[in-house]
Amino acid sequence: MNQRFENDEEMLTRGLQALASEMKDVEAPEHVEVNLLKAFRARQVVVPISTRRRTSRGYWLAAVAAVLLIAMSVVALRWKSTEKPAEALAGREPQKGRVIGPRDETPKPVEYQAVVQPAQPSIPKRVRHPRVRSSESAQLASPSEIATDFIPLRYMNVASLQEGGQIVRVEVPRSALANFGLPVNMERSNERVKADVLYGVDGLAHAIRFVK
Amino acid sequence: MKSDLNDSELLRSMLAGDEEALSVLYRRRQGAVYRFALQMSGSKTVAEDITQEVFLFLMRDGRVFDPAKGSVSAFLLGVARNYVLRRLRVEQQLAPLGDDFDDDVPVLHASTDICPLEDLTRAETIESVRRAVLSLPSKYREVVVLCELQDISYGETAEILGCAIGTVRSRLHRARALLLAKLRPAAEAEDADSATVKSARCFA
Repeated sequence: MNQRFENDEEMLTRGLQALASEMKDVEAPEHVEVNLLKAFRARQVVVPISTRRRTSRGYWLAAVAAVLLIAMSVVALRWKSTEKPAEALAGREPQKGRVIGPRDETPKPVEYQAVVQPAQPSIPKRVRHPRVRSSESAQLASPSEIATDFIPLRYMNVASLQEGGQIVRVEVPRSALANFGLPVNMERSNERVKADVLYGVDGLAHAIRFVK
Repeated sequence: MKSDLNDSELLRSMLAGDEEALSVLYRRRQGAVYRFALQMSGSKTVAEDITQEVFLFLMRDGRVFDPAKGSVSAFLLGVARNYVLRRLRVEQQLAPLGDDFDDDVPVLHASTDICPLEDLTRAETIESVRRAVLSLPSKYREVVVLCELQDISYGETAEILGCAIGTVRSRLHRARALLLAKLRPAAEAEDADSATVKSARCFA
């Protein structure tokens, strides 16, 4: 068995040696060298190594610049989008239909304009009661005055207020404050307090606020 | 004289634009590269293409050669190996290797100092060994080609293949076993044929 194995191994070694010696002098055809030399010459003329390296460096620089540009534009876009809501809040115009401007000391009717509504009949619009906020009422009153919110006197018809209205400065007995659930100092109940009454175009008083 | 320079010096000159250096280096190393590609692929066309690609690679990216890692010839054979394996993978996807190794078989030159019958036997042996080598899986084929056919040391083979010497040894052992298994039936059939001829002669 061993003898046979040795014979096989020997046979294989001889076979491999024969194949190796057979191919010992095999070489690439001449045209391969010719092609290579041609390519080498063309390379030397067209793309010298130094130029190629510079070009590849240029590509890298261009790529880096492009990435930076993209990153900067993304940051700028984000910054702009975060700034917009603040700008929108700051630059919001006062709503039409609200009373604006300083008030005189004398009871003087103040005209306020009708709201111009865009024509959108198909979309049901949420009705908003024209409630004057304390901050806005502070604008109406002179800086030294303190005013309460407007207190509705009856069911407020929004339509009548949208068409226009007036605010009239009046004086009422201090005891009238109690009618609206406001605290009253009974010792001074005989005194009078200033109040602004909001009249609609229908000539009815819709709301009142007290001014100190 | 350029031919006195060693491979590394020639490579450096070539990269500096010396055409003669390329020519000398090519003539010195193309044979090993071409034979390796031919023995690995079994096709002259593929071997030519790969030889050209290897030297084009050297012209283009020769700067990646590091003398500390090995010789120029090992570097070239390593590059050739990568190209061959890539080519084999592509060809395997296109058409599986069959028994027909095309007509690119290297011409076996008849020697003049032995009789024609012995010459024929030798040619047949070489052909069967060549076929057996080509039918080996590539990882075994490359060690046989490098160690047995190109007569490269185990150390340099390990350098070319990028593996340990032990791996080269074990692969070569396994490759030889596979070759024996492939060649044995052919040898037995040959023995049987010669026995039949002998007995026919006796009875004639």
